[in-house]
Amino acid sequence: MAKIIKPDEMLKSINYAPPATDWMDLPNDLSPGRWAYPAKLEKVEYLMHEVPGVFGNPRTWNPADPDWQLPSNWKEIVVNGFRERLDKYRSLKLFMDICVRCGACADKCHYFIGSGDPKNMPVLRAELMRSIYRGEFTLAGKILGKLTGARVMEEDVLKEWFLYFYQCTECRRCSLFCPYGIDTAEVTMMARELLHLVGVNINWILEPVANCTRTGNHLGIQPHAFKDIVEFMVDDIETITGKRLNVPLNEKGHEVLFITPSGDVFADPGIYTFMGYLIMFDAIGLDYTLSTYASEGGNFGLFTHSDMMKAINGKMYSEANRLGAKWILGGECGHMWRVVNQYMDTMNGNLQGPQMQTPVNPITGTVFKNAAQTKMVHIAEFTADLIKHGKLNLDKSRNSDIIATWHDSCNTARAMGMFDEPRYVLNSVVDNFHEMPESTIREQTFCCAGGSGLNTDEIMEIRMRGGLPRGNALKHVVDKHGVNTMACVCAIDRATLIPLADYWAPGVKITGLHELVGNAIILDGEEERTMNLRQEPLPGMEEE
Amino acid sequence: MGLIEEMAARSEELAQKWADLILGTYPVETQAVWRNNRDQFSNPVGHSILTATSELIPLLLSWNDAEAVAKALDKLVKIRAVQDFSPSQALSFVFVLKKLLRQEFVAQLSSKGELEELMRFETRVDNLAVIAFDLYVASRDQIARMRVEEVKRAHTNIVRRANLMKADVAAHKAD
Repeated sequence: MAKIIKPDEMLKSINYAPPATDWMDLPNDLSPGRWAYPAKLEKVEYLMHEVPGVFGNPRTWNPADPDWQLPSNWKEIVVNGFRERLDKYRSLKLFMDICVRCGACADKCHYFIGSGDPKNMPVLRAELMRSIYRGEFTLAGKILGKLTGARVMEEDVLKEWFLYFYQCTECRRCSLFCPYGIDTAEVTMMARELLHLVGVNINWILEPVANCTRTGNHLGIQPHAFKDIVEFMVDDIETITGKRLNVPLNEKGHEVLFITPSGDVFADPGIYTFMGYLIMFDAIGLDYTLSTYASEGGNFGLFTHSDMMKAINGKMYSEANRLGAKWILGGECGHMWRVVNQYMDTMNGNLQGPQMQTPVNPITGTVFKNAAQTKMVHIAEFTADLIKHGKLNLDKSRNSDIIATWHDSCNTARAMGMFDEPRYVLNSVVDNFHEMPESTIREQTFCCAGGSGLNTDEIMEIRMRGGLPRGNALKHVVDKHGVNTMACVCAIDRATLIPLADYWAPGVKITGLHELVGNAIILDGEEERTMNLRQEPLPGMEEE
Repeated sequence: MGLIEEMAARSEELAQKWADLILGTYPVETQAVWRNNRDQFSNPVGHSILTATSELIPLLLSWNDAEAVAKALDKLVKIRAVQDFSPSQALSFVFVLKKLLRQEFVAQLSSKGELEELMRFETRVDNLAVIAFDLYVASRDQIARMRVEEVKRAHTNIVRRANLMKADVAAHKAD
């Protein structure tokens, strides 16, 4: 029989302090909940066929199993891939060499702030890769090994990369504080590219990427079904406003091609934002069309490999050319704008057809010179311009029950520098607006903890702890000003901020900017509205 | 001075010591960062720990408002319910208070033969643990609920279309 310890012995043995093991020697914890589900075999096979050289090792596997069924030469693939990228991207080599471990980034990551896991300090997360860089590619590291913080590539290291480079949302808040400007998001991108080569991946990213490549949107909804779904929203708008709108789909010869994330079409509450767009386009008589081939603004390719991102992004110009559109208006999305603003021109600028022109607002005549390269305008800029010129007939009182705050989405804020346009629009359609604390907004905004393809439900705990800094700042304005609504311009935010708010700041509703615009716009020939776009009674219209 | 009076007099010091013990349940590298930053927005966990212990010590002493106790526990429990802890580790922050009380008061109370006072007081700490347990389970239930609700929301219009198709098929059969 096993020895039963006495109560006082047991008391002495209980110790809640974590072990004082060096981070390099800490074993990986691969319990369920600590990783997102791996990609389905057929999705990987399909993508290998579509974009060769980016993905590999299709199989059915489980990260909780000790054997990940890696190819026998996996180490060679990863190390060669690393070497290739060090040659290709000077930025990567610089980021590997230059960090002096000053610690400025250490407590800036939302995942670290919420979890307290040191490997979520951006400096240490990047060190997971730097240690391999030193061990495999530098002379000092090869000779002195651990003394220089170097190690060689092993299976445990690969597993560690999978755990922690999928706990980075590529939000780039840490980069803001780095005195050298090291872009940790790019380190994460490189790590994920290497993982993809040996088939270490997550389904929440690869399935949308495969769907997007094949049918044009994340869910793989085919054109006829997409059309039906748009019709639902036209029906709903008729119920709310009494007016039936014409929504052109796949039509040639319109001035503008409108592309938004497909979440706006399929998911609650994005659908209300989508209805807001349609109402505004009708109000100003915009000459536009939607497309089913380019029905996804979001580009999860960004979270896999530059070639994949390029392939998906290219659809936008191809479709603009096919339909003869002069410029592209883009909906409320986050990472879509990182791709558009930072990579699109370099990657695909050569695909722009001769009919494409620097965007001009047909209603106000404003030339969007900032979009001269990409020919693509963010809808918040477009709407702010319309309001500034008095082109929208707005009834703010329909939003008078709203006490709003503004969540700056990481990508539109830090990657695009768009801070004031959405605030201007928001202030034009609501009476009550309160900012969250300064250190949590604009450039310093905290991530929703679901960006970069991590907005999947199986890692809800990871998302919630990563969402603590945002939720905490939100709770502050709830307590101080009675805020009941957080608005944003990102489809992922609109999905992920709902549970985040439910958990950390209960009672706050999440809306897109154009949902509130759509509520406020008075359309020509509409009936008196009694309900908002969610078909809830407008203030003063509640039944007795 | 009895135990309650002495605890009341040293309330702030005890709250700080209790908070230190709770911080000790995190990795050493993290402790170093969190101990040096008291800002509510850049260090919400550290701030919540100290807020909770500072509110809870007086509430334990007055021990007449269960709702206030639950409210003071709520945020810290919610935080630890989603951190990388087993359930026992998550709630260990309550039990380390016992460790602190024994460390601070056992010698002095036993020399006066008043150890019973501490034992009586520890019942309150046990009750605190029970309240924390309820809050912990409520948080975990909420996480599970949120997962399901999120999946439903993500497919609102797809389901709407599927139902429509189902209705069409049913109508066809009825013909």
